[in-house]
This record gives sequence, structure tokens and C-alpha cells, in this order.
Amino acid sequence: MIKRLSDLEQYLRERNVKTRLVVVAAQDANVIEAVVKAKKTGIVDVTLVGNKRIIEDVFARHNYELSGMEIIHEENDTLAGVTAVKLIKEKKAHILMNGQESYFGASLISKPILDKKDGIVKGKTMSHVAVFELEHYHKLVAVTDVAVNISPDLKAKAAIISNAVFLMRRFGIETPKVAVLAAIEVVNDKMPATMDAAMLSKMAQRGQIKNCIIDGPLAFDNAISEKSALHKGIKSEVSGDVDILLAPDIETAGTLYQSFMFFANAHVASITVGASAPVVLTTKLDTLETRFNSILLSASTYLK
Amino acid sequence: MITKLSDIFERIDTTQDRKRIAVVAAHDENVLDAVTLATKNSIVDAVLVGDREKILEIADAHQFDLTGCEIVDEKENIDAAYTAVRLIREGSAHILMKGNVDTPTYLRPVLHGTEGLRTGDILSSIAIFELKGYHKVVSLTDGGLNIAPDLKTKVSIVRNGVFFMNCLGIKKPKVAVLGALEFVNEHMTATIDGALLSKMAQRGQLKNCIVDGPLSFDNAISADSARFKGIESEVAGDADVLIAPNIETANVLYKSFVYLANASPAAVIMGASVPIVLTSRADTETVKLNSIALAASINLQ
Repeated sequence: MIKRLSDLEQYLRERNVKTRLVVVAAQDANVIEAVVKAKKTGIVDVTLVGNKRIIEDVFARHNYELSGMEIIHEENDTLAGVTAVKLIKEKKAHILMNGQESYFGASLISKPILDKKDGIVKGKTMSHVAVFELEHYHKLVAVTDVAVNISPDLKAKAAIISNAVFLMRRFGIETPKVAVLAAIEVVNDKMPATMDAAMLSKMAQRGQIKNCIIDGPLAFDNAISEKSALHKGIKSEVSGDVDILLAPDIETAGTLYQSFMFFANAHVASITVGASAPVVLTTKLDTLETRFNSILLSASTYLK
Repeated sequence: MITKLSDIFERIDTTQDRKRIAVVAAHDENVLDAVTLATKNSIVDAVLVGDREKILEIADAHQFDLTGCEIVDEKENIDAAYTAVRLIREGSAHILMKGNVDTPTYLRPVLHGTEGLRTGDILSSIAIFELKGYHKVVSLTDGGLNIAPDLKTKVSIVRNGVFFMNCLGIKKPKVAVLGALEFVNEHMTATIDGALLSKMAQRGQLKNCIVDGPLSFDNAISADSARFKGIESEVAGDADVLIAPNIETANVLYKSFVYLANASPAAVIMGASVPIVLTSRADTETVKLNSIALAASINLQ
């Protein structure tokens, strides 16, 4: 079990994880910087799909080592997305990364991923998982879903939990503890978040959602602090020891994500899971560290 | 704490201080039979509110002993109902019982906003059974009053059921919320409510009880069945209270216990300041007597 994101690299190396990363529209200096760093670990090989001339120019300007990098020339970004997804589908690559880091650039890869015929989602729910290392929390904690599911219904929430549980289990957490967040910790029939939380708890208890312990509704303080929970009279295995925070909607998740980043000196790695390969979807605001961590987090989905 | 139905008779105060039952529209052969049997056995005293002439006529014809029964003459059923409720509000009667009167008329004064008897959010009907093959008494609710209760109403039904069991000395009853299956299924409201009610008990929104649901009937009453299904539950196989998802389920279950399992339940309505007896014509004398005894044995204060 790892407690810090900086331990990821060693953890993966000790377990001989070896994957190939394919980057769509790879002609981006920030993304290339992260990819070069990731390749140095020996954990990932790299295929860059994009404008070969610009890519080589970036390498030359920064004195990056170009040897061992596979480059597939494709000037059309949309076609680059199609090519990359095809490599994943043919199992020639194992991690997909978006080189065009903009909120509106996601369709470059989301379209070919979701394509009915040639896509790589087989009826499963895709969801975004952000794994945080926080100064004042004793272990890694995942937040989901800040990016893919806007206002998930019960079924989607169950799938989002399963995706996050799958990911956290890669780190040796056999039975991750899941807190279903709401504004309060009691069931209130006017607050659907609290009702879904109660149902999800029961679904875990009955084995409908496997390999995890779920408790909810929990307010954020009850989820991360046992003291706070006890103060409210809540006895919960999850309180104060949560591995996964399920937010009721994308706004709550996004706000929480950003407050961790801006105010809690957080380190983060985030990926999208649920397709046949993990997808790294970073933004211009992310740091090199986040991009690098996210690539390694993707590789960790291949841990047995 | 009671473990069999006959225990309720042990709990009754049969001294001079025994309780008084006010019977609305007492001019009914079956009801008078049960009530006079109860007075004869010092289970209760009775105030018979109804048509005096008819009451005397019936008693005479069937040789019912009216010792211990006061008669208050009210020709109209609605007047009888209001008078009986007034007697209870004044403290001169402690149990309300339905005679030869339709249920809406019987309950109208009970539900009256200022002059009624309601204490809880709702009234709900509870039957308690002793069943061969089950190791203790078990209550079933609501087979009589609430047709298709929503979550809020179910909360009140659970509260009434728990309070009822508390009154019988069962301090922390185990409540099973019945569904057609033991999983949460978004298309089956009963299973959703089962999950919600469980969580509400866990969070202290429902007090003095352990709630688990959804549980199908077999999982609720059989630990083996629950184990076979892989259900880990404190309630499974040891339920004290069964919460049915709707009136049909409760009613069918009630009648299957009576007709196929030879059960003679006792039933009361909870949610008012006194226990209310609302037996139907189809109920046997034993059920009526049991219900009077049950009402006399529980102290709502």
C-alpha cells in the first residue's frame, strides 16, 4: 500500500509494470515534457501521434532524448485521435493521453473512444478519478467524478464507485472505504444525494457493489474526520479512514478538487477509467508533476 | 418482555384499577360477546356507547352478562363515536373499540384536530402474531390503514411499530422492511425505502430499533435463508417487526398467517393517545378478545 504519490514510481518498478502510452495531438511542449520524464522511469514506452515536424522541434529545443520515441505523423488532430484509439483497440498501446490540453479539446479523444463501432468502451460507464495526497490526511484519497459524469443517477454512481474501487485496489487496498458525500449525514427525502447514499450503502452491504465498504450520506467533515463523525453520533467504519470520496455531482467534485489544489497544497494524479484503457486528460493549468503522476497512475491500472 | 401471545394477559392489571374500554356503537353481537368475555375475566371494564335498547336486546338474546358494563345511550353512530372519544379525553375511558359502525365514522372524532386523540404523525394498524415455527412473537404493519405509504409515512409506521414493541417490553426491536427481494432495485420503491429506512435507523433518525431492508419475507424470518443468500444482518431470522411496503402485502400476509398458519393475532391501532381496537367482522372471537387484552396490556404513557 502506498501513501504518497511520489512512491508510485518505485511501486510500479518493483512490480515490473511495463506499458505503452499513446499521445494524441502530441505537438505540445508541456505534454512532451511529462512524457519524456515518464519514459525515463522505464515504466512506459511512448508513441506520439501528431505533427512530426513540430514534435521533433520541441525535442530539439529542449534537448530531450528522441531515441526510443515512436512518432506517427498525423497533421489532422481528429485523425490522430482515431489512430491512437485504434492502437489501444489492437492492444499495441495501453494508455491514452490527450496532447491538446484544453477543456474543449477533450472531444478529440472522447469521440473515437466512444465510437460505437471502433471505440473502446464496451457498455461500461467511464468516470474520472483523481487521487490526492493531502498534507493533513494520513493516506491517499480519491475524489470522483470531476470530469465525465455531470449529474449521475444511482446506477451511474454505482459504476463510478466500482471504477474507483478497481483503481484503489491496484495499490493493495483490498476493501477500499467509500464515503458518499452529501450536505448532511442523515437521510432527507428532499435531498436526492442523501437518498442515493443510503441506497449505495445498502448495495455494498448486499454485495451489489463489490470489494468495498460504503457509508453515506456523510458530510465532508464526517467522511475525513472520525472525531467529527463521533461528535455527530455517527458510528461508521468509513469515517476518518475514507479511501474514496464520491461526490453527488460534477460541481461538488470539481469544487472539492480545486479547493484541495489551491488551499491544501495537494499533490494529485488523475485519470479516466472505464474504457478498455485508462485515459490521461490533463489541462493547461496542471503542473509537470500532475501530468507525470497521472501517467504513472494510468500505468498502475495494469497492476495485478 | 413477551415471547408468546398469551403473555399479554399476564401483563394486564386486573385489579380495581383495571382499564375501561369505550365501545363505539356497541349494539353488535360479536363485539358484545368479546367485550363481555373481557369484562367477565377482569381484563377491562366497559362503557358501551350506542343504542341502549338494541344493546340490552342483544345481551338478553345471547345471555351476555353486562356486569362491569356501563351503557351510554347514543342512537346515532357519529354521536356515539364523539362521545366515546370525549370519555377518553376526560380520562374516564382508556381504550377505544369499534362496534357496529363504519371505519370512517369511527375514526373521524379520533382524527379531529383539536378534540381528537392523535399524538403521532399518523395512525397505523399493527397486528402481533404467535406463529408455529417462529421463536417469538412478531408484529406486522400496516394491513389496515395506510394504503401505499411513502417514505415519510413509512417512517411514522416504523416509529409506531417500534413504540408498540417498546410498550410490550421489547426495548430494541429488530425491524425488517419487506421487499420482493433483498437487493436495492431502482425500479422497486419498496427496496429503495428499505435501504433508506435502514440508514435512517443507523443515523439515529429512527430510534430504539435496528432496521434492515430490503429483505424478502424468507430472509426476514429465517436466518438459514438469509445465510444461504449471503446476507449479513442482525435482523434476518430474528425480526420483531415486519414493515410491509403496502396495505395489500400486509393484508395478504396477515390473512395467510390466520388462514394457513392457524394464527390468532391481536391487533391495535397506534399513533393515538390510547390504543384503538379496530377488529373486523371477519375476525374471530379469540382475535377480538386478544386485541382487547393487547390494548389493555400496553401503557402508552
